[in-house]
Amino acid sequence: MLKSLQRYNEEELVSLLKQHDQAAFSYLYDNYSSSLHGAILGILPDTDTALDILQEVFVKIWKQISAYDVSKGRLFTWMLTIARNAAIDMLRSKNWKNNKRNNELTDESLTLAGSSQTNTDVIGLRKIVHTLKEEYRVLVELSYFEGYTQDDIAKQLNIPIGTVKTRLRKALIELRQTIKV
Amino acid sequence: MDIKSYIQSGVIESYVLGLADQDEIRELERLRAQYPEIDQAIIAFEELLEQTAAEHAVSVPAGVKEQLFERLKEEAMPAESAPRIKETPVAAAPVRRMRWAPMVAAASLILLVVSGALNIHYYNRYHDVRQENADLISQRTTLFADNKTYQTRLIEMQEDLDMMADSAMMKVSLAGVKGKENNAATVFWDTHTRDVYVMSSKLAPAPSGKQYQLWALVDGVPVDAGTIGDCASICKLKNIPGAQAFAITLENAGGSPTPTLDQMYVFGKVG
Repeated sequence: MLKSLQRYNEEELVSLLKQHDQAAFSYLYDNYSSSLHGAILGILPDTDTALDILQEVFVKIWKQISAYDVSKGRLFTWMLTIARNAAIDMLRSKNWKNNKRNNELTDESLTLAGSSQTNTDVIGLRKIVHTLKEEYRVLVELSYFEGYTQDDIAKQLNIPIGTVKTRLRKALIELRQTIKV
Repeated sequence: MDIKSYIQSGVIESYVLGLADQDEIRELERLRAQYPEIDQAIIAFEELLEQTAAEHAVSVPAGVKEQLFERLKEEAMPAESAPRIKETPVAAAPVRRMRWAPMVAAASLILLVVSGALNIHYYNRYHDVRQENADLISQRTTLFADNKTYQTRLIEMQEDLDMMADSAMMKVSLAGVKGKENNAATVFWDTHTRDVYVMSSKLAPAPSGKQYQLWALVDGVPVDAGTIGDCASICKLKNIPGAQAFAITLENAGGSPTPTLDQMYVFGKVG
């Protein structure tokens, strides 16, 4: 495999990817695989499974690049969404739940609000999320890392949907401030 | 609309992270087209997100990329997979990955083999059962035919019995003549209809080409009363209005116009 030394701007890269250019795809992998790997591990802290998912994610990117709409957002945002969805799909799958030793905990993840992840398991962005105050942490955990909709969360936590919405937004603003620092 | 407070509400972060609901997405996309500040704020957060993800990146083991590209090659050209597989260094795959296609293929193959074996098994069973069924049908047919025969015999015997029990029936015993003492026969003569029946089961079997014939002696003259065929027990012969005696002789098959007297077997007088 040739290591791509060339650099592309995003517009060029997307255009080449849409033509299924191998060198461009190689460049994409070299530049983004470790970022996406970290994001997947944040949701699903299992080394082997995360690598399987990462490969699936790049296969999806290769296959679905024609569906990527530049006007809707940056390429990385699109890839991150694919990675997050794939990781959450796996998290929700029976296979994963059955393989987990602390089965009861992950099954009850919603009511336990993400406390199934011990702090030592937590890496990356999720570690920052854990520094937020409890009522924010719970919402970010459930929505971003476990993939529940705001509606699901409102029902489960017995909080009005409006409260979930505003509280989640505040949590994200605070998270953003923490990142920037 | 207060664009600044909208931008700072957290809705942009929610949208970019994929947490916004349909209403929020629709509103934001509408406003984005309208206000460049919102568009810029979205892009700024996307850049921040990319940068943060890069800061928290976890390096991927060597070999994963090669595997990925091999897989893409396979998926892009499934039709010419045969020659390509040879080029693939199979052993150079250090990292575990899910290979669904071979697993599915292997499972399919197993299912095919099992299904094939079952087909053969069930086909053989089907054949056996079909043969058994055919045998049973032929047995049944035989039994039905036998049953019919027995029924017919039974009806005939019943008729014979009825006939013999009939009070109008006159019984004439014919005894073996000299030299033919072992033979005997019985004539049943219906006094109303004048029909003559003969039970000849005690006569020696007729040689081939020969046939027994019953004669009625009417005023000293033998009158043909009919030849005895191979009827089961009692044969109905001719109608004889009047006779004083009956006799049976062995004649050429088909019967004779006059009896061959030295071939008389049995004789009996009426009354």
